[in-house]
Amino acid sequence: MMENAWLIPLFPLLSFLILLLFGKRLKEASAYVGILLTLASLVFSILVLFERFSEPTYITKFNWLTIGDLHLTAGFEVNQLNALMLFIVSLVSFLVHTYSKGYMNGDERFPVFYAYLGLFTFAMLGLVISPNLLQTYIFWELVGVGSFLLIGFYYYKEEAKAAAKKAFIMTRIGDVGLFIGMILLFWETKSFEYSAIFAAVDAGAISGTMITLTAILIFIGAVGKSGQFPLHTWLPDAMEGPTPVSALIHAATMVAAGVYLVAALFPLFAASKTALLTIAVIGAFTAIFAASIGLVQTDIKRVLAYSTVSQLGYMMLALGSAGYVAGVFHLMTHAFFKALLFLAAGSVIHAVHTQNIEEMGGLWKKLKFTGPLFLIGTLAISGVPLFSGFFSKDEILIAAWEGGHPILFLLALIAAFMTAFYMFRLFFMVFTGEARGDQKHVHESPNNMTYPMILLGVLAVIAGYVNTPWFGSFLGDWLVDGNPALGHGHIEGPIWIMIAATVVSLAGIYFAYMMYYKRSIARNTISGTGDTLHTILLNKYYVDEFYQLTVVAFTKGLSYFLRFIDVFLVEGLVKGVVGIVQGLGRTGSKMQTGQVQTYGAVAFIGLALLAVIFALTGGYLR
Amino acid sequence: MSLKTLSEFNWSVMTPEFIILGVIALLTLLDLFLPKRVDRRILGWLSIAGIVAAIIALASLLGTEPTSILYDTFTLDMFGKAFKLLLLAGAGLVMFLAVSYDAKDGMEEYRGEFYYLFLTALLGAMFMTSSGDLITLFIGLELLSISSYVLAGIKKHNLQSNESAMKYVINGGISTAITLFGMSYVYGLTGSTNLAEIANKLSAVVDGQQAYLLGIAFLLIFVGLSFKLASAPFHMWAPDVYQGAPTPVTAFLSVVSKTAGFVIVIRILISVFYNAAPSGDGSSILFKMHDYLAFLAAATMIIGNVVALKQTNIKRMFAYSSIAHAGYLLVALTTLSANLIFSVWFYLLAYMLMNLGAFAVIQVVTEKTGSAKIADFAGLYRRSPVLAVTMGILLVSLAGFPGTAGFIGKLNIFVGAFYGEPHYVLASIMIAATVVSYFYYFGVMTQMFFRPARDESKFNLPFGIIVVLIVAVVGSVLFGVAPNIALDFLNKL
Repeated sequence: MMENAWLIPLFPLLSFLILLLFGKRLKEASAYVGILLTLASLVFSILVLFERFSEPTYITKFNWLTIGDLHLTAGFEVNQLNALMLFIVSLVSFLVHTYSKGYMNGDERFPVFYAYLGLFTFAMLGLVISPNLLQTYIFWELVGVGSFLLIGFYYYKEEAKAAAKKAFIMTRIGDVGLFIGMILLFWETKSFEYSAIFAAVDAGAISGTMITLTAILIFIGAVGKSGQFPLHTWLPDAMEGPTPVSALIHAATMVAAGVYLVAALFPLFAASKTALLTIAVIGAFTAIFAASIGLVQTDIKRVLAYSTVSQLGYMMLALGSAGYVAGVFHLMTHAFFKALLFLAAGSVIHAVHTQNIEEMGGLWKKLKFTGPLFLIGTLAISGVPLFSGFFSKDEILIAAWEGGHPILFLLALIAAFMTAFYMFRLFFMVFTGEARGDQKHVHESPNNMTYPMILLGVLAVIAGYVNTPWFGSFLGDWLVDGNPALGHGHIEGPIWIMIAATVVSLAGIYFAYMMYYKRSIARNTISGTGDTLHTILLNKYYVDEFYQLTVVAFTKGLSYFLRFIDVFLVEGLVKGVVGIVQGLGRTGSKMQTGQVQTYGAVAFIGLALLAVIFALTGGYLR
Repeated sequence: MSLKTLSEFNWSVMTPEFIILGVIALLTLLDLFLPKRVDRRILGWLSIAGIVAAIIALASLLGTEPTSILYDTFTLDMFGKAFKLLLLAGAGLVMFLAVSYDAKDGMEEYRGEFYYLFLTALLGAMFMTSSGDLITLFIGLELLSISSYVLAGIKKHNLQSNESAMKYVINGGISTAITLFGMSYVYGLTGSTNLAEIANKLSAVVDGQQAYLLGIAFLLIFVGLSFKLASAPFHMWAPDVYQGAPTPVTAFLSVVSKTAGFVIVIRILISVFYNAAPSGDGSSILFKMHDYLAFLAAATMIIGNVVALKQTNIKRMFAYSSIAHAGYLLVALTTLSANLIFSVWFYLLAYMLMNLGAFAVIQVVTEKTGSAKIADFAGLYRRSPVLAVTMGILLVSLAGFPGTAGFIGKLNIFVGAFYGEPHYVLASIMIAATVVSYFYYFGVMTQMFFRPARDESKFNLPFGIIVVLIVAVVGSVLFGVAPNIALDFLNKL
């Protein structure tokens, strides 16, 4: 089965091509094309995953391009991480395809939406089976294109257009780092292949400084894609896209690509203490930074977006603390519960036609499925014991503690408290209390929207049990099997960490309960609306404004200065070049008189000129 | 030459040529004796069958050692096989366009000729790939040219078609004269028309006077042949002829005829001038002349791409684009890298696929709208998504984007420019010219995808067009994704 893994990305590509060509004719039936083909990918992925449990890594490659003595290869690889990612991506993509049938129903560009979903899924699946950096980079960019199209799907909305552009540019900034890192690695090892790079790192063929430099450059690419500080601002804005897209891109796939990249290149990162520390610090900071912003947001999707940024920070913290298993484990559980939360949020939005949680409330009774499912997702992300998020978060906290980062550990613990608090704030404000908006037409979503959520709900509960301190660390042992560079399958930690994690998460829930359900603690106890702290958080620490004031203003100031030069020098030059090109074109067209004499004359004059030069130079130009 | 020696030649190496010749004879007779009411399209299908048979015959010859017969005037070597295959494939695809072509403007009664003239032209081109003698090279060249002149004017009651044929024949005459003049110098210097013998004689030449004459001969021959390549300074006929000729003929001229042009240029350059080492320092005339080639390559790229920007007629635009592509190919010739043959062959293969595919779309659209304005492509995506997406892929390949055969072709040539002595200037001009080409290729894209359609009528795709489009798109993507298939094939020859 594994030798056929290359088929998995091709199904969604086929869906994209079919819908691009025949989408107009298929209309609503487009959904079935997309759903069936992603189902095929899912089935193949499951088979591959199960085969990978018992068999060794499968890798195949062929010479893609030979120019002179330069050989570039292409192919695919099924290792543990890749097999797991194939499963996660194709599962979430399949569920999102199914869900969208209901959510996007009636949209004029319904087939186009499914075509874009196919393109995106193709790129993401292609990314996770690439055996070399070059191929990864190509798919990495293709993922960016897919997300650009999907975020900007409502292109008639100015915000959506701006958000799509912002997402593309912000991630591109990171990609520059990745590209330079990739080229430097190629320079050092004469190969793009992961195996060759790891072998060179192992053999000490690359100097320590070079390893640190390339690792950090590649990490910059991951920072962009995974929305880490300081390149995180595109992710909340990307919520302008259709909600199923948020579930696909901003929960399970594209944002996870950065984490995947670091995990896939882990042996390289592991060889540099500095690089690992950088990752851990950035991850921990992002985790608490984004969580604190999430405390005050009033847009249901934005709260989830900031929680995504924060959770991705956790994963980076884990990887940076040498907790390879913890990072990948949380990547998996997060994919399930965050996709669930986004889909449930979509279901809520579908019902009440607003995203502002101040206008919701009391939906528990009206949304019989969505309510409990949202609660499951909330419990999982808050790290309540027995839910999947509890186990993976616990692993990360242990990794941070054992990795010797007590301060980062503390930050992560506080972030866990905040997460529990803002998620339950969200839950109580949406589903309990009085209805604060017009809810006459509120009804539960159709089956093709609820079933995917139910499946994810089940996974959000049980996915954690593949790697627990009680029933054995099956996932961890499997992930690191045969690869000592990835560390241990399970890191033993003191029992108090688990207790502490439970206590903070329950405390967060308790405070949210008292504040937003019982209302026995006033909402403005710590900081009311209009207070400095509240305002700072509501404005997301003014990062966008900071960029506006510093980067953009600096650029503007510089640009005023440069404009002076620009107008007179550069613009003149550009205009000159354009003018010359246009002028040449015009002259060329004019010379084309249609007179056959002219044509013959041009040939003769050309020949004569060449002959004269030849004669004058005495035969040769040199 | 006695009958005995004649019969002792290994004639089997000429099987592909014999098959085409036989089909030509058959078609001429059929056209003469078949009743008037019989649709002549059947002759078109017969020619396709003939070309397929010739390809099969050639395939069975692929394993043979290089053989030459008729006192070295006809050789079947790796070069001949590779390019003959390209010519046959190109002509076959053009034939599919021709059978789908809607005859108008006085062409109806000459439809039979329309088909077998393509074959005579093809036969000429095929002889050029295998000839080892200036005489046979020239005969092949003229057979190709004269057939093409008639083809360009086959719409006898159409003014543009007549004009196109007239211009073509006059310019062709001039070019032939110049080429022959150049060849006469070579003959005068060596006393032989046989390429191998010429090369042999020239490798001994050290006399400065003779070298000087050889240089003149080189310039004359090259400028004369640049007519066939449609490259500077002999490029100006192309837009007028391309515009007036029937679309399948335009496709033929821009692909098969151009390929034949590169065949003869490489044959003569390699055989005659590559070995001529006049000054005794070991570097051949070809190396010393490469500044001229570089200049002409640069001029061709610039003229083709820049003037294409200003065109409003799609066939004229493609004429300039075909000039530009000749320029890229000349870069490969200039740099004389180790993989010269492969990069030229691969580029011509990619160019054949993407250009013929594009002409298939052009043929459908122009027949439907009755004009060849670029603006007529507006809203093509709404009218026929299949045509628009196909054309989109082909344009992306023509522009040379990664993932397409066009990109690999350009990459080969570009990397080749840094073999040995690097050609920075030429390589930068190539990049800049490529960037300019995005504008006009994407201009067509903009029309197809983002402009509203004037009318919403749908397209009927004839069978022949569908065949060409499938081959073109599959080939462009396949060789873009897995270029090694082509490389392995060529290495096995």
